[in-house]
Amino acid sequence: MIDKPGCIEALKQVELLLDGELEGELRINVEKHLSGCSPCMDRAEFRRHLKVMIAAKCTGDAPPAELLIRIRAIIEERDVAPS
Amino acid sequence: MAVTGGTETPTPAPSTPTDDAALRERFERDVLPLLPNLYAAALRMTRDPTDAEDLVQDTYLRAFRGFAGFTEGTNLKAWLYRILTNSFINTYRKKQRQPQTVEGPDDMDEWYLFDKLGGRNVELSAETEVLDRIPDEAVKGALESLPENFRLPVLLADVEGFSYKEIAEIMDTPIGTVMSRLHRGRKALQKALWDTAKERGLVDDR
Repeated sequence: MIDKPGCIEALKQVELLLDGELEGELRINVEKHLSGCSPCMDRAEFRRHLKVMIAAKCTGDAPPAELLIRIRAIIEERDVAPS
Repeated sequence: MAVTGGTETPTPAPSTPTDDAALRERFERDVLPLLPNLYAAALRMTRDPTDAEDLVQDTYLRAFRGFAGFTEGTNLKAWLYRILTNSFINTYRKKQRQPQTVEGPDDMDEWYLFDKLGGRNVELSAETEVLDRIPDEAVKGALESLPENFRLPVLLADVEGFSYKEIAEIMDTPIGTVMSRLHRGRKALQKALWDTAKERGLVDDR
């Protein structure tokens, strides 16, 4: 069950933990709870998976070749005519 | 690679052709490879390929002009995303029809998606498999459906991996505001992902 005070406290910190924003004793306590509580660990793992999935699926849009040409022109123009 | 120490003089020497060449070389080496990231982020911000191209081009122009003032060895990626975000907010946002500031889901639980997908006493893998089956385009669409004040922090944190402090600097927003928008943005994203999974028949609505 996740309605125990320990679970509620730990689950509140999962977002920070996964963002790498939890430090020191707070972090140790949350990690300790998760490793001893499989329902909470499942939730944390799900959130970790969600975060990884979002990162993986929201990238990989190949920039058009034309854009690279335009950007290279920006870099080279300065050499010809410094502003 | 040689990294020079912090011995810069306050008044820079007049730029010589050699300086320019070195700067251009460093820009090509360090900034150009970030093009795919910046372009993808610009697409998520503008939700329009033409606007995204213009935004990235504008960002590179500003970055190139300001590059002499960038201190080598400091956070280049955050510096670039700050330029990108500022350009977006100042220029392209005006075109966006969506309201920029929305209150967002306050009544939702941050475990919304887990609870929607779970509750059948199945293995955790069943829930994560549903996530994996959502097509890339649908996940992009779900992120892009968020109002801007939620979309930017989620993009910067979850897609680009910036820390709260970096996001606060990039968006010029207090860190507490970043955290609360990120939290609410993620809840809104979970709802959008559930909706798209449901529309695509990847889950049964119960």
